[in-house]
Amino acid sequence: MRLAGKRALVTGGRQGIGRGIVDAFAREGAAVTTCGRGPRPDGLAEDVIWYTLDVTDADAVERLANEADGIDILVNNAGVQVEKTVPDSSDADWDAVIGTNCRGVFNMCRAFIPRMPQGGSIINIGSISGRVADPSMALYNASKAFVHGLTRSIAVDHGPRIRCNAICPGWIETGMLDAGFDLARDPQAARQDALTRHATRRFGRPEDIASMAVWLASDEAGFATGQMFTVDGGMTAASPLNPGLF
Amino acid sequence: MMLKGKTALVTGGRGGIGRAIVARFLREGAKVYAADLTPPGSLAAHDDDGSTFLKLDVTQEDDAIAAMEQVGSESGQLDILVNAAGIEIEKTIEQTTLEEWNLSFAVNVTGTFLTSKHALPLLRKAAASGASASIINFGSYDGFIADPGLAAYCATKGAVHALTKAMACDHGPEGIRVNAICPGYVDTPMLQSFFTGDGSGGGGQSIDQLQQAVRDVHPMRTYGTPEDIANLVNWLASDEARYASGQLWVLDGGLSAQVQQMKL
Repeated sequence: MRLAGKRALVTGGRQGIGRGIVDAFAREGAAVTTCGRGPRPDGLAEDVIWYTLDVTDADAVERLANEADGIDILVNNAGVQVEKTVPDSSDADWDAVIGTNCRGVFNMCRAFIPRMPQGGSIINIGSISGRVADPSMALYNASKAFVHGLTRSIAVDHGPRIRCNAICPGWIETGMLDAGFDLARDPQAARQDALTRHATRRFGRPEDIASMAVWLASDEAGFATGQMFTVDGGMTAASPLNPGLF
Repeated sequence: MMLKGKTALVTGGRGGIGRAIVARFLREGAKVYAADLTPPGSLAAHDDDGSTFLKLDVTQEDDAIAAMEQVGSESGQLDILVNAAGIEIEKTIEQTTLEEWNLSFAVNVTGTFLTSKHALPLLRKAAASGASASIINFGSYDGFIADPGLAAYCATKGAVHALTKAMACDHGPEGIRVNAICPGYVDTPMLQSFFTGDGSGGGGQSIDQLQQAVRDVHPMRTYGTPEDIANLVNWLASDEARYASGQLWVLDGGLSAQVQQMKL
């Protein structure tokens, strides 16, 4: 029980990576609160507290921070993805992606940092796409680079009281990944090709990211701050050449 | 004429990229020493291009000392050193023999060390005369991300990247700038050897198909030419780059800016 006695808040805990982190934190003994834009999802453990919250709404975030005082671990996971180039992106796309991925993380950090105790840990979900570009994901890629920069800033400004790190997931089996493959002419072939680009020969699972989040949230990670931790099955360690070419 | 009045030494100066650097330096008005194992280097023909050939095995300290003595007695100083000599062993660590591993490090890392070490007195003289002196090492995008079956090569290039920063820290106060160029795929004998491997191409594809496939992975839809590399080497060697030091300059047609190709 590596997180016993700690109180954690995870944004975007309905599904995917966020849900994986909620479940892992609960297993490790943390008191977990999570939130999302819709109603409480099915199957969420009974002792997990659910708030209906849009992280882009600064007033609502502030109200949550008042109610959920004493949070030791904040995970900014809520994010949206739009698969478009710059000229194809609309103002609404900008508001959606930048609103949630940038402003949402900012809103949460601004509200919770002053209330977090000594030893607090903020974990932002960045992305490998913040370091190298996924095609036709311009705003998403840029929003994740923002998250990386904000992560370093918070680590510098609020250490030693608070540690702040980002996890950069690679391709994780979530609805977002399927949306990416659906862009391909042959989604099945694209999926197969992508698998061979992973040293692990599998895509990530939400649990893979959750296990990194548990470590970063725990006191074992007491000297880790300001860093981007990539968990991508080795994909970005390899050059982007076609697998099997040589 | 961006390098008028300057003296330059290029190791691997008769090889694919080195020869293009030598040619560019000559056009820019520099006096150029092309250092290599043999006058033709890795290319078949040797055109008399106006450079001075220096026999230099970069793994041999005596060769480095003798080369710098010759440059010193003829030119008095050295403004530009380009460490372009390099080899590539196309194997995993399991396939790589200790001899191959040691040779990779001897040429790519120790060679950069030895040549730079013994060039320093001449580089300091150049720096003392006003403009900064410039060392340009050859890293690789493979020093950041790995190509399969190139383990020793990737490791040597990572070492060159770190050495570049260390040299920049140590010798910047003396007016010596140190940078590394990190090429991606560049059309050289080394690349063609990578394509052919055992001589039959790879994955059942013809060499032409293989080359096109590699071009298509690049955002620029081509791989580079030695002249593309020489363009950046020339700038880093020139006084225009007087504030550039300690950096790793990736030049790869955008290859490593991508995650992976996902739309088939």
